[in-house]
Amino acid sequence: MAAYHVVLVHFPIALWLTATLAILWRAISDGPLAKAIDRALVPLLTLGLISGVVAFAVGTQVWPWEAISSTPLGRNHVLLASWTVAYWAVLLALRWLKGEAIWQGFTRWVMAALALLGAALLGITGTLGGHLVGIYTDVSAVLRLLGWEVYTTFYVPTITLWVIAAAIVVLIVLGLWGNRRANAA
Amino acid sequence: MRRMLIYLAGIVFVGVLFVSWITHGTGVVVNDADRNIYIPSELTMPLQVMAAYNGRDMFFRYRWPSAQPGIYHDMMKFEGGKWVRYGSSVVGPQPQGIYEDRVTMMLDDGSVPEFARYGGYITIGDRMRFFTDEASADEVRAHPYLGAVRNQTEVRKYMPATRVDIDDWASVAPEQDLAALRNAGYFLDLWHWRAHRSNPIGASDDESIFDARSGDAGRSPFTDNWDAEAQQPRFMLDPDKTGKRALAWDDVAERRLGFDDVYFISEETAVPFDASYAWQEGDTIPRRLLRQGDGSHADITVAGLGRWEDGFWDITLRRAMDTGNPTDDKILVDKGTYTVAFAVHRDASGSRWHNVSLPVSLGLGRDAELTAVRFSGATPPWDQAWTDVTLFYPGQVSWPMLNSARHAGAESIAKGVPVKFRHSPEQLAHYGVEVEFADQIRSQWMLTLAGGVLLILAFGIALNGLIGRKGV
Repeated sequence: MAAYHVVLVHFPIALWLTATLAILWRAISDGPLAKAIDRALVPLLTLGLISGVVAFAVGTQVWPWEAISSTPLGRNHVLLASWTVAYWAVLLALRWLKGEAIWQGFTRWVMAALALLGAALLGITGTLGGHLVGIYTDVSAVLRLLGWEVYTTFYVPTITLWVIAAAIVVLIVLGLWGNRRANAA
Repeated sequence: MRRMLIYLAGIVFVGVLFVSWITHGTGVVVNDADRNIYIPSELTMPLQVMAAYNGRDMFFRYRWPSAQPGIYHDMMKFEGGKWVRYGSSVVGPQPQGIYEDRVTMMLDDGSVPEFARYGGYITIGDRMRFFTDEASADEVRAHPYLGAVRNQTEVRKYMPATRVDIDDWASVAPEQDLAALRNAGYFLDLWHWRAHRSNPIGASDDESIFDARSGDAGRSPFTDNWDAEAQQPRFMLDPDKTGKRALAWDDVAERRLGFDDVYFISEETAVPFDASYAWQEGDTIPRRLLRQGDGSHADITVAGLGRWEDGFWDITLRRAMDTGNPTDDKILVDKGTYTVAFAVHRDASGSRWHNVSLPVSLGLGRDAELTAVRFSGATPPWDQAWTDVTLFYPGQVSWPMLNSARHAGAESIAKGVPVKFRHSPEQLAHYGVEVEFADQIRSQWMLTLAGGVLLILAFGIALNGLIGRKGV
């Protein structure tokens, strides 16, 4: 299945990177072309998510779970792929649910930042996938300089997991509060 | 207000990412002597090698950094009226720094093809000594062959085909098969230089790896200096030759004794132990007696003086290219190609706490990663360049594990893909550490994965709630 996974990952990579450019353009431009591209954003992100999920699913069949969950590079690739899919799903949901409101005022810069972060996640995921099949880039050297040796599993200690749990609660409360305010208005 | 809250959500999200980044990889990897786990602070080290031959003798020269020369080993200190042992094999560095430095080299002539592809990994079998799941001494002693015939008390390095099932150290092949394998050259020659147990008398241990790691036929360069029945040394230093009957513990503990001092005991400097002597607190006698080896066991000698200077060991070993012992040694011939793999023990660490190399090709007068240069005369001129080799901490990676479903590269091994094609020494060092904490890291990784996904979704919920119909 490795060859099929390699073929399939090209679709979400192409679609999400195109979406990144579309978001960045729309963030800096209210021109007719930027608005036209924005109208294609939801289909673009939807196709990206579908192809991403398919590539992810096929990727889980390349090696047995016992093997992929036992090797640092395999674990890291699965972790980053999971985060990348979840992240772009959130971007799709935001654009879908909020429509053109996300380009109003300050929010457009939030979207631009989110798109750049999503592209970074995508790039790291791809780099790790390359390592798994023996194709190396210097992205891993950059990550090493930043403090992460990609040949070690990315995991956080239990105390950090509690911090993450607390942050999840705070974020959900903020979202619910915002929804309630919007409904009240 | 909404803008402030979006800022807040962003700060929470990015802040948690930052905290995750700076704390990742912590909280799991900790030393645990009960599980035979000690992780060295340095996972790689350099080794420089040169090789030369004159048609009769083969020379290997090794140079490697070491903070200090580990020339003490296995001492008995007179303490509270008893002789107490210091310097046996322990998990990680010996606390008093009493453990010798060593350099070892496995050598094959092509009779073990998988050695050229995977190096020493093939010799790391099931439930090895000092692994977390090591076989107990009682289990090994009770084994009808390893215990009863080979007098083993622990599972040491062995070759895969000497077992019927590579997942079971005890499944030794029938003895007639073992004999046939040995005659076919299915073993690794092991050159084993020891800074205390061989170097002081200009010798090197000469061993092989087959159904176990063991010495070649003949007498080894050292033996025990301990009378178990009387609970005392068998020999003490000869005061007429050394000016003392024992070393002073403080001299050993504070590393005051150098190459020109008496820091070992040998047949030349020993006399029978005198139990009636008024031994003083702190008197210290080496627990290993150095002696002249013989037979195939004494094939390897130190050329010149094996010395540590300015932070580096510089050791040259010499052996006849044809020792006349083809079932103990790999016979070397002009223009031949071979495979070697190196290991170094330093920092008072023994057993599996060494740094090892991947396999290195050796050519006698032929291009190879390590090319041995032919010379005339008795002593190599050593005018060629060093071959640099990176050694790494191998961790608890075994051949059974590498061939199991736990290793994504097991299929590549089955296809014969060499380890160097996919892995670097630095990478393998990290993998070696992670294998020692496999279950803990896997569960922490899964929690991290789930936590990250939930955090991203929660961030989406926050933004969705906070971004109004007209943005912010």
